[in-house]
Amino acid sequence: MSSGEAPVTELEELEERARRAGPAFGEGAHILCDNLVRIYKTGGVEVVALQGLDLLIDRGELVAIVGPSGSGKSTLLNVLSGLDLPTAGVARVAGMDLLAMSAKDRLRYRRSIVGFTWQQTARNLLPYLTARENVLLPVRLAGRREHRGHADELLELLGVGACAGRTPMEMSGGQQQRVAIAVALANRPEVVLADEPTGELDSETSEEVFGALRAANRELGVTVIVVTHDPLVATQVDRTVGIRDGRTSSETLRRTSTEGEVIAEEYAVLDRVGRLQLPRDFTSALNMERRVRLELERDHIGVWPAGQGDGDE
Amino acid sequence: MPFTLLRAHRGTAAVLAVLAFSAALLLAALPRAFERAYDGALGRVLAGGGADLTDLTVELRAHPLDPPLTDPGQFAAFDARVRKALPPALRTVVVPGGTGHHGAWTYGTPVTGRVGERMWTGQFFDLAWLTGADRRVRYVEGAAPGPAGHVTLGGRDVVRYDVGVIREAASMMGLRVGTTLLLGPKGALAARVTGFYELTDPKDPFWDHNRGVTHVDVRHVGTSDQFWVTALTGPDALRFLKPDLDLRYTWVLGVDRTALTAGTAGDAAAAVDRYDRLLAGWSSGHSSYTLHTSLPLMLGGFLKQLATAGTLVLVVLGGLVLVAVGVVALAARLLTDRMAPALSLMRARGGGLARVAATGAAVAALAAVPAALLGYAAAFLVPGPLTPAAVLGPPVPALAAVAYPAVRLALTLRRPLRERRADVAARPSPRRVVAEVTVVVLALAGAYLLRTRGLADPSSGRADPFLMAVPAALTVAAALVTLRLYPYPLRLALRLAGRRRVVAFLGLARASGGGTAAPLPVLVLLPALAVAVFGSVVSGAIGETQQAAAWRQVGASARIEAETDIPPAAAARVRALPGVEEVLPVAEGVTHIGPGYRAVRVVAVDLAAYRRMTGGTPLTVPAPPDGTSGSAVPALVSPSLAGLGTFEIGWPVRRTVVARGTVGGLPGLAPAADEIVVVPYSVATRTGTAPFATMLLVRGDASRAALTAAVDTPQTLVVTVADAFGSITGGPMTGVVLAAFAVVTAALAAYALVAVVLALVAGAADRARALAYLRTLGLSRRQARGLTVVEIAPLIVLASLAGLLLGLALPAAVAPGVDLSPYAGQPVEGFPITVGTPALLAGGLAAAAVLGALAYATAGRAVTGVLRLGESA
Repeated sequence: MSSGEAPVTELEELEERARRAGPAFGEGAHILCDNLVRIYKTGGVEVVALQGLDLLIDRGELVAIVGPSGSGKSTLLNVLSGLDLPTAGVARVAGMDLLAMSAKDRLRYRRSIVGFTWQQTARNLLPYLTARENVLLPVRLAGRREHRGHADELLELLGVGACAGRTPMEMSGGQQQRVAIAVALANRPEVVLADEPTGELDSETSEEVFGALRAANRELGVTVIVVTHDPLVATQVDRTVGIRDGRTSSETLRRTSTEGEVIAEEYAVLDRVGRLQLPRDFTSALNMERRVRLELERDHIGVWPAGQGDGDE
Repeated sequence: MPFTLLRAHRGTAAVLAVLAFSAALLLAALPRAFERAYDGALGRVLAGGGADLTDLTVELRAHPLDPPLTDPGQFAAFDARVRKALPPALRTVVVPGGTGHHGAWTYGTPVTGRVGERMWTGQFFDLAWLTGADRRVRYVEGAAPGPAGHVTLGGRDVVRYDVGVIREAASMMGLRVGTTLLLGPKGALAARVTGFYELTDPKDPFWDHNRGVTHVDVRHVGTSDQFWVTALTGPDALRFLKPDLDLRYTWVLGVDRTALTAGTAGDAAAAVDRYDRLLAGWSSGHSSYTLHTSLPLMLGGFLKQLATAGTLVLVVLGGLVLVAVGVVALAARLLTDRMAPALSLMRARGGGLARVAATGAAVAALAAVPAALLGYAAAFLVPGPLTPAAVLGPPVPALAAVAYPAVRLALTLRRPLRERRADVAARPSPRRVVAEVTVVVLALAGAYLLRTRGLADPSSGRADPFLMAVPAALTVAAALVTLRLYPYPLRLALRLAGRRRVVAFLGLARASGGGTAAPLPVLVLLPALAVAVFGSVVSGAIGETQQAAAWRQVGASARIEAETDIPPAAAARVRALPGVEEVLPVAEGVTHIGPGYRAVRVVAVDLAAYRRMTGGTPLTVPAPPDGTSGSAVPALVSPSLAGLGTFEIGWPVRRTVVARGTVGGLPGLAPAADEIVVVPYSVATRTGTAPFATMLLVRGDASRAALTAAVDTPQTLVVTVADAFGSITGGPMTGVVLAAFAVVTAALAAYALVAVVLALVAGAADRARALAYLRTLGLSRRQARGLTVVEIAPLIVLASLAGLLLGLALPAAVAPGVDLSPYAGQPVEGFPITVGTPALLAGGLAAAAVLGALAYATAGRAVTGVLRLGESA
């Protein structure tokens, strides 16, 4: 922005930058949330569950979403599965704008784009239907022709082929949850959302269930988002997104080093307007409150508690 | 899918099915049974009178200037004509044959002599030719009358008829076969007795029209007796019967009483009136046709009773519909709640709203509709005619069973995910408040309109549908108000209960929290109570009115009335009867007073004694007039006579009386329509003799037979309150109304219990969770039971209280349609309301409901089961 050159006005410069702008935010992402807001409002009382959440997930990714309870994980999942309507912002899945959809579109979306499982094992399956019938239920609800073979294939893929003729009562919790994943996959969705799929299970069974999700991700190329508390699950995905107070706060990326070691690197999330959530233990350790001082260094930005920094001056 | 869901929730579905069945059965069977009872009551009303009262009799008095009917063919032709002219409503009722017949008869034909025999005085010998009579008599002596002929008597040629007479006339009137009587003022014709007959069937209603043919009527005139009989003669006699014998021609149209039903009674009565006007327009020369029948009168009286009964039954059935719908909806709600997880999963997994709601409704329909059809079919086992109510009623609960889940699911599943957030409290929406206020205002406006405008047509014998809508709307309004207001008294009770008594505190807190405040149980309990209380109030009012009416008819415990003086000895005998506490002599007669020489009834009675005597009875007797004014007798007079001031009476002695006050009437002592003068009993003396009595009023319980025996005076009438009450309550319609109340009250009580248990079951999961939590904190099993009862009891008690109040208020609301006069046999003003029985009823029903809750709470359920229930629900 050197002022010595030709008289280029600020406005012109802005226009020029707009012309030069690369692809729009999240273009090409399979799942996009931009500044997503969800406010529950009943009888004049408001609860803000999502307060400007940003999230980008590519096609075929397997992502875990973690966060304390009440952070908005389940709300996010309900929005993405088309069960809940966000209040503001942008939510786009497989190119479909979740805010602009009519009720009919949303129904079609639920029938063909997403599949999901709830945390409570019992809630996912109808107790009086067999596993196979449960898998075929969404197919029937979508008004498609049922293929028994398809249901059996899915159950086989998820390792519960033997349970096809059993009702949920006759299955273990892990089997039920894997059947639930099969139900979620029944309509060949592009995205599967799982809310705490291993929440009610022991670690060994959790491993099986998560294995099933991973199988779906690899074999069928489905984008999978898992909301979890389970550290075991969190360490087995390539990317873990942390949510705090209705916003994405951190991301952990895992890669396998050349030595075959898994290296996890945790990042804080910087949003499009430059906002950053500092981890709470960092801020409390340094007694940072209300104001901090920032300093731009050559390769990083320093953050100092307000009082300390002032004292240095 | 519906079948799978039905199988999965078969228990709840069975409850719904049973309720739909019972509701359809009741709503289809009760109107039929009531209609049948109405028909039965009409049948008994009509059977109370002879065929001459119910049949239509067209009469023509022969006129001297008109040509007489001399040929049976003329009668038959006219018979066909009158039948053809019948209004359509009467064509099914008037049947050929039966008691129908026609003929000619003379009236009051004196016997003026006998041929060759000694003359008997005081004999009247009417002649009648009646079609069908010869088939109904059997000659036991002599033979049937032959053709008419002539005899020559003293140089005169006189027409001689052959006649047959009832057998008893032979001895009573000194007749034998061959006796020839000279008849008519001038002895212008002769009647030869050719035979004596007996009736083949004395009970044949045919004879109701021709009583003179069946027996010799003895009439006491002064000191002598008169003997009246009607003799049967042949068709040949028609040629010689002359109008100067007071000759009448009649055509009797037999009415089939069984063809008259409560439903057609109104039309038939109107048709008879129309027919009467039509016949009056026909004339035959100088005389005109008249229609004689008491049918409209009898039907009118019945229709008045029917209107009241119809109103009461309609209100009661309306309550039953409301309650049945409420209970069925409660069961449907339970079923919907049970299906909700599956259906919301279906909705979330891509089920369309219409499809998911239809699935839920289909499950309810599979349970309720066949059951309702079965109930409707079962109702055909109950004999009775099909009425609109019996057809329109049964589908209502079935419809409710299907509509409730459909609407509820459509509302709750409109959004695929309906997550209640505990941190967001719900508040009543303004729309709902406005809707509720609208219902309340509409109900009150309806009640106001009903009271001010009255009914569309109270005489039609059928109740106004508006009348049914108003109590139902009032009930719904009362339920809404109760639901809105009931937390407030509970919060007050909560404050009073304090925090020391943990069970009471927790129970009231849960109750007032609204967790269990399902509106449906209130919607069931409240109308159930209201209708039960209403029924009890009306039954009580009918009973009380009838009791009062019986007293008003008699005037004392018993009344002995004689045509002549009652001897003092007879009075003494009555006084000596066991059970008789007091006997009051009364003299009553008619005198003519004033310039108009108007007839007034004078009652000489000791009012002070009469007042003492009637203490504690429904009768009120005015106080005696005070003071005397010289020789004038102080008297109470009818208001219309009050202007006369001082006037003279001629009975029982000529005295001057002075009006000292007015009296509305003396029930039992004087007909209500008469103008009366009440004078002290001391006036009742025949000149120079001891006081006399024409009437004895008795206090105490002595039977009519005992009193009649004690009086032992001819021509006395003895009436007792017990007899009068018996004849009033024996009215056929009273039983129908009381039975209706009893049946419906029983059904309502059963439904109320079912509603309470269903409400408990519906809230079971929530309650079980709370109890499981409290149990882990140290609540004992006993306290847990107590908690359940304390939680549910306030709702029951408050709903019962509201129901009681509504039930007491309903009679006032429907008063324009409920006239108890037809049941009391005299006009009744107002509506006596007693609180005792209804309050007991309400208390009993509430207690039964609470006990039901207790029984439910006590029914053993293991703690672990409760805990599991708490987790999985």
